[in-house]
Amino acid sequence: MLVSFLVACVCAIASSAQTSGDLALGLSEFSKGNFSSAAALFARAEVAAPGTTDALLYESKAHIHLEQFTAAEGALRRYLLAHATSADALYLLGYVLHREGKATESLETYTKAAQHRTPAGDDLKIVGLNYVLLNDYPDAIKWLEKAVEAEPKNKEAWYFLGRAYYTKSNLPEARKAFLKVLELDPRDAKAENNLGLILESEALPDAAMDAYRKAIQWQEQSVRPSEQPYLNLGSLLMEQLRLDDAIPLLQKAVALAPRDAICRLKLGTANLRQGKLTDAQRDLEKAVQLAPDDPAAHYQLGKLYKEMKALDRAKAEFDRTAEIQSRAASSKPQ
Amino acid sequence: MKRWPKTAIRHRCYGNVDARFAFLLLCLLLPVPLLLVAGQEHGSTPSASPSGPPGKFVDITARSGINFQYQASHTSKKYLPETMGAGVALFDYDNDGRLDIFLVNGAPLAAPTPKGTIPQKMGRQYWNRLYHQKTDGTFEDVTERAGLQGTGYGMGVAVGDYDNDGYEDLYITAYGGNKLYHNNGNGTFSDVTQRAGVGGTGWSTSAAWVDLDGDGFLDLVVLRYLEWDFDDIWCGEHKEGYRAYCHPDFFKPVSPLVYHNNGDGTFTEVAAKLGLARPGKGLGLAIADYDRDGHIDLFVANDSMVEFLYHNKGNGTFEEVGLPSEVAVDIDGRTYAGMGVDFADYDNDGWPDIVVTDLANQRYALYRNNGDGSFTYASTTTGISKMTLAHSGWGIRFLDYDNDGWKDLLIAQGHDLDTVELTHPNLRYREPMLLARNTGRGFVDVSAESGTIFRKPWVARGMAIGDLDNDGRVDAVVNTNEGPAYVLHNETATENHWILVKLVGHQSNRDGIGAEVKAVTASGAQFATVTTASSYLSASDKRVHFGLGRNEVVQQIQVRWPSGIVQTFKDVRANQILQIDEPSGSPRW
Repeated sequence: MLVSFLVACVCAIASSAQTSGDLALGLSEFSKGNFSSAAALFARAEVAAPGTTDALLYESKAHIHLEQFTAAEGALRRYLLAHATSADALYLLGYVLHREGKATESLETYTKAAQHRTPAGDDLKIVGLNYVLLNDYPDAIKWLEKAVEAEPKNKEAWYFLGRAYYTKSNLPEARKAFLKVLELDPRDAKAENNLGLILESEALPDAAMDAYRKAIQWQEQSVRPSEQPYLNLGSLLMEQLRLDDAIPLLQKAVALAPRDAICRLKLGTANLRQGKLTDAQRDLEKAVQLAPDDPAAHYQLGKLYKEMKALDRAKAEFDRTAEIQSRAASSKPQ
Repeated sequence: MKRWPKTAIRHRCYGNVDARFAFLLLCLLLPVPLLLVAGQEHGSTPSASPSGPPGKFVDITARSGINFQYQASHTSKKYLPETMGAGVALFDYDNDGRLDIFLVNGAPLAAPTPKGTIPQKMGRQYWNRLYHQKTDGTFEDVTERAGLQGTGYGMGVAVGDYDNDGYEDLYITAYGGNKLYHNNGNGTFSDVTQRAGVGGTGWSTSAAWVDLDGDGFLDLVVLRYLEWDFDDIWCGEHKEGYRAYCHPDFFKPVSPLVYHNNGDGTFTEVAAKLGLARPGKGLGLAIADYDRDGHIDLFVANDSMVEFLYHNKGNGTFEEVGLPSEVAVDIDGRTYAGMGVDFADYDNDGWPDIVVTDLANQRYALYRNNGDGSFTYASTTTGISKMTLAHSGWGIRFLDYDNDGWKDLLIAQGHDLDTVELTHPNLRYREPMLLARNTGRGFVDVSAESGTIFRKPWVARGMAIGDLDNDGRVDAVVNTNEGPAYVLHNETATENHWILVKLVGHQSNRDGIGAEVKAVTASGAQFATVTTASSYLSASDKRVHFGLGRNEVVQQIQVRWPSGIVQTFKDVRANQILQIDEPSGSPRW
């Protein structure tokens, strides 16, 4: 999503008439991918001629590239003081607020932006994702449906629509969405991995494993392969007691996502079942550290300590499990 | 922790001088023409080997005289009680030697139903029903005569002789208040709820009669499900036809009710005093002495939270040890929708194991007792995981359908969401029953070869087991949601032998509930706990059934009574109903 947006950004900048001084230098740095220096140059350009150029708008875009969303929000809000009806700035602010996790503010901003320009498919997608953040899946699905309607080839919008349906346990619609992603990109590993999850939910573990294996194969050449298909395949193999096959996959998942608590938990659990207690202790203690409120991590660690005859520590972990589970048992508000 | 006592047997009663203390009645099989005509074919391959024959369960409902329709009263509001179903009891209320059937029913619900409403039965279609088994094996509806029509939206039933008068009494749970019916011994029952003080409040589910303190009187444990009322909560997608029953996480857990039997027809609520008041979402309840310390323990199947194992500390109080005993969650540490449960020794090692049903994609949980106070999640290694992955189970019992000496599993199935097929096309709201054969090394799904009933999709909920026709093969009765009750006659072709043991307590409770029975043959030992509880919302035949394989003689039967008395009997012949009386110089009743 961000990639297509920023390509459009650079084009817009290149065609701008305001290409003198720091602004021009900033644009040059931006086009080279030097976003830090670009942001500084845009800031200086704004100081030189406050409110008269689009420097702040460009600065925000540089910050977005740097994933500095607070700074991006600041630049945009200052820009909007002088350009209150700028649809570009409002849509961009809506996006930045979404990335900051401020879903409600983001939605308010998109509402304002839509008064000045009809939202594009990507904008509708972000609106849908805001509702995901708000745990309002019916509305999320509604806006993601509008996103793919507005832009039928928007692969990411289809993917997120599939995820939303999957979360709501509507497997037929989720499957349709992921198949659409695969129609647009026949080797999309994320979509194939999610088809595996659907097959698993449909109690078809063998078919699910085939999907995970395909996803792993398809992402082999990827610069940033996902840990998910390794985790999912490893977990299924664990359930089939194929620990020797599962452990290397789970190790790979941990290597790709060392801060992912679930990967650590699965690997630790597999090691525990294999009797590799030292390895299990390393992974399970890390899993608890990464996800201190995950009852399953505390439970497995409790089992490990019990196996190691560290009964006091085991009891503490079981007690913690019970405490978290007890809270979770009535967690959904009416 | 004590193992099965090898010494200190206080009475040996089979054919020795202590016989005056123990009354061993060899009951002749009662001929039941209807059921015998129903198709048994003895003479085929014996089933003592792991690759033995499948079962044969035949639906004899139509000719049995049972004509029961459970009224769930489904509404557009998707009130949770609508999908939970109800229980069934198999018990001999008139002591004629034949099991009778009691079926729990619902009540009308309006859409909307005002908050605070306690539904009431309005009309005969909502009545609970008592069916008396006649000498020809058919049943007659004696509900009105017995006075057991009931009042509210019924859920579960528990059977026990709480006043030790020799007649089984009934406790009926419901949404909004429960009922205790005293069996008057003349075919009628009296509602003694108020005097007994066991009405309770809230939404009660499974209940069990069990003597918690060893005073010889059955106490009463009553699970409750949720803090719930008739609120209008929309769950599921906001699309026509997609409204679904809400997940239990939407509601708070609630403490069970535990009533101490004062021995004078009254009870005192003691859940907190006994350490049994931990809030749960209880649906299934089973009893066994899992650590063999001589004190009966409790297992509670909770829906979508940790399961509870209450260890009896022997001092009149309990501690909850589900997590450290490794029976609270599945192998991955996840909770699941625990519903039905059984607590019995499936691997014949002398230690009671636990099996719990849940929803599709969760896999029924089988926990093998390690004998050291802990359990091992055994669903994966025994084949239960794979076989149950796509199923949703409720009533469940270990039973040796082919009398080969290994306890198999019979399971009532069906999803809780009537919308599940819209969102999960591979899953089914209506499902056939499941029969899993215990090979001695694991379980094998033999449903497909075990009769047409295993191909009929039902929304099954409560299930009770018992030998309806006293032919040595365990039968079952199933209550379905918004559907009929089914009587399933076991006609498995086998020449294997069997024995049914009926205990009569004289120092212990009259039913012998909580007693442990060990049967030793040339093939090995088997163990069972006397109980009417287990399964889901239901009460089963209290008699203990053992399949004996090719053994025509039981080398030893040993009974450990709740009183601590141990009786041993030698060389007991197979294929009989054996009544064992507990020795007592001064019976209490």
